[in-house]
Amino acid sequence: MIQVESLTKTFRDKARGDRAVVDQVSFEVRDGEIFGLLGPNGAGKTTTLRMLATLLKPSAGRALVDGHDVTAEPAEVRRRIGFLSGDTGLYHRLTPRETLRIFGRLNRMEEDRLRDRIDEVISMLSMQEFADIKVDKLSTGMRQRVGLARTLLHDPPILILDEPTSGLDVPTARVIEEFIVSARKSGKCILYSTHVMEEAEFLCDRIAVIHEGHIRIIGTMGELKAVTGRERLREIFLELLDSGGMRKAAVV
Amino acid sequence: MTFRMVKTIYLKEMLDMFRDRRSLISMIVVPVLAVPSLFAVVHYFTQNLGKKAQNESARVGISASVSQPGLTGALKSVGFELVPQTDARAAVENKSVAASLDLTRAADGTGQIVIYVDKTREASSIAAERLTAFLERLKLEQVKSSLRGLGVSERVLNPFTVKSTNVAPAKKMAGFILGSVLGYAVLLLMFTGGMYPAIDMTAGEKERHTMETLLASPASREEIVLGKVLATTTASFLTAMLTIASILISIQRAGLGQGGGEFERLVSRAAPDASTVVLVLLTLLPTALFAASVMIAIALFARGFKEAQSLLTPVVMAVVVPAVVGMLPGIELNVGLALIPVFNVSQLIKEIVLGEFSHLAFLAAFLSNVFYALVAFWFSVRIFKTESVLFRS
Repeated sequence: MIQVESLTKTFRDKARGDRAVVDQVSFEVRDGEIFGLLGPNGAGKTTTLRMLATLLKPSAGRALVDGHDVTAEPAEVRRRIGFLSGDTGLYHRLTPRETLRIFGRLNRMEEDRLRDRIDEVISMLSMQEFADIKVDKLSTGMRQRVGLARTLLHDPPILILDEPTSGLDVPTARVIEEFIVSARKSGKCILYSTHVMEEAEFLCDRIAVIHEGHIRIIGTMGELKAVTGRERLREIFLELLDSGGMRKAAVV
Repeated sequence: MTFRMVKTIYLKEMLDMFRDRRSLISMIVVPVLAVPSLFAVVHYFTQNLGKKAQNESARVGISASVSQPGLTGALKSVGFELVPQTDARAAVENKSVAASLDLTRAADGTGQIVIYVDKTREASSIAAERLTAFLERLKLEQVKSSLRGLGVSERVLNPFTVKSTNVAPAKKMAGFILGSVLGYAVLLLMFTGGMYPAIDMTAGEKERHTMETLLASPASREEIVLGKVLATTTASFLTAMLTIASILISIQRAGLGQGGGEFERLVSRAAPDASTVVLVLLTLLPTALFAASVMIAIALFARGFKEAQSLLTPVVMAVVVPAVVGMLPGIELNVGLALIPVFNVSQLIKEIVLGEFSHLAFLAAFLSNVFYALVAFWFSVRIFKTESVLFRS
């Protein structure tokens, strides 16, 4: 479970002065739920996820990941999350198997268990054919599967996925989506950011629309439709961006 | 901090490093090739250029006024090739001869032989020296024969003789040269050897967006920095060992008379024994740690590979200054000087190879280098915890 209360991140900018990239953001992600953070580029999605993954320190507010405070207990938080970003962050000179071994060890997995689990994850994501080829030589789709395998390897209760399907073709994006859905079935708490409407509509149990650092609305698709009076998420989204936060957090 | 985490990061960096061509070149290829090519260059200059200057120096201009059969015959007999000149000075200026001779009258009316020389040219200087020596001998012979004519013994010319003896044995001279070259070459290559690995695992990770993933893992910042610093230290130290091995092999070959030039044969007289090599390596260990920590800290500031390279290149060049000062003769390492990083190592290596270092200075240099390494490491960790530096783009 992820609990976020009035989370704020201010960046010091010489030219423009202090700027709140994430401003008073609050939401909650339950176990067994896919929670979508939807917003245009620069809305504050990545900064929010980076604070939850303990990469950035919040300027104000607080966030608990599985009951652990991101500021006070970053090590405990990191042990419980699987973090994946759109550009995968894979070492190009290592093979997928080497990558998994390293991250398994960093996640303090036992050697025997790690060996079995690597084989398991490789077959689960159909990576057998390229498990021992350097990441350098792999296609974007293959790399994203390696990234996902790395995220799921240590079986973390919390998944933080930052635009995991960006730049992928439709079939590969589909593979990733299916894995996210199956992770929900096993009770994981999934926080997911995207700017693709269809994906959010298809995957997410609840959606928060974020714009200019503020959360405009939070709810299920049904609730979003009811509040805005629009049928499609795209229209809801555009309306919220236009209204400039007038209906900020109407449904929680 | 746990050993297993640091080891995992370290092994990951080592694996990554040994698959990176740029790192391999600076770490292994350069030290293995640099030393023999350095020796080859020295060999070339001392042998070929010297020989060329020697050959050229034989060609000497001579004006008609000096050209008496007795003198020209004597000059030719000692190997000079004489070229008659109408303008002795111009012939040297336009380089058609190495030096030239002319005859004038001195203020007191005696004959004065003028040697025209261009001191910016080695061949000309050599020619002038040889001509001077020859003419002095000639003068002496004339004085002697005059004395004989007067019935005076030649010995009045030489009431006593003067001779200077170099108490430094050839081995010590060779040790001085070897120690200077070794300290300088090893220090410079240590920094260049660790530079690419240091950049690759900091600015490189930022550029390729792998840093985020590493930071989101349960490894602590200290564990990550320590793993990276130790991997870079390994690279630097490996470079140092390869450089030393390469030097030892070069001079050993020369000592056995297989290849190598005069320079190697000279330094082969100071071929260091095992204990010297161990002491040198012991001196270099904290230096490698220091070099690695400094380079990791600086490279972390950069947004990408190119920026890191332009930040680190002046650092590597700055190393050359204290290393060269350490090569100068006349400086002895005392406890105070032993506290100056890089310089202390350059100086200490020279003294170790000479076999006359002070134990106190050794200890001071060793401990101060460990201390600087720790400060640089602490600084790296601090930077690693500064998110504005880490996520700068």
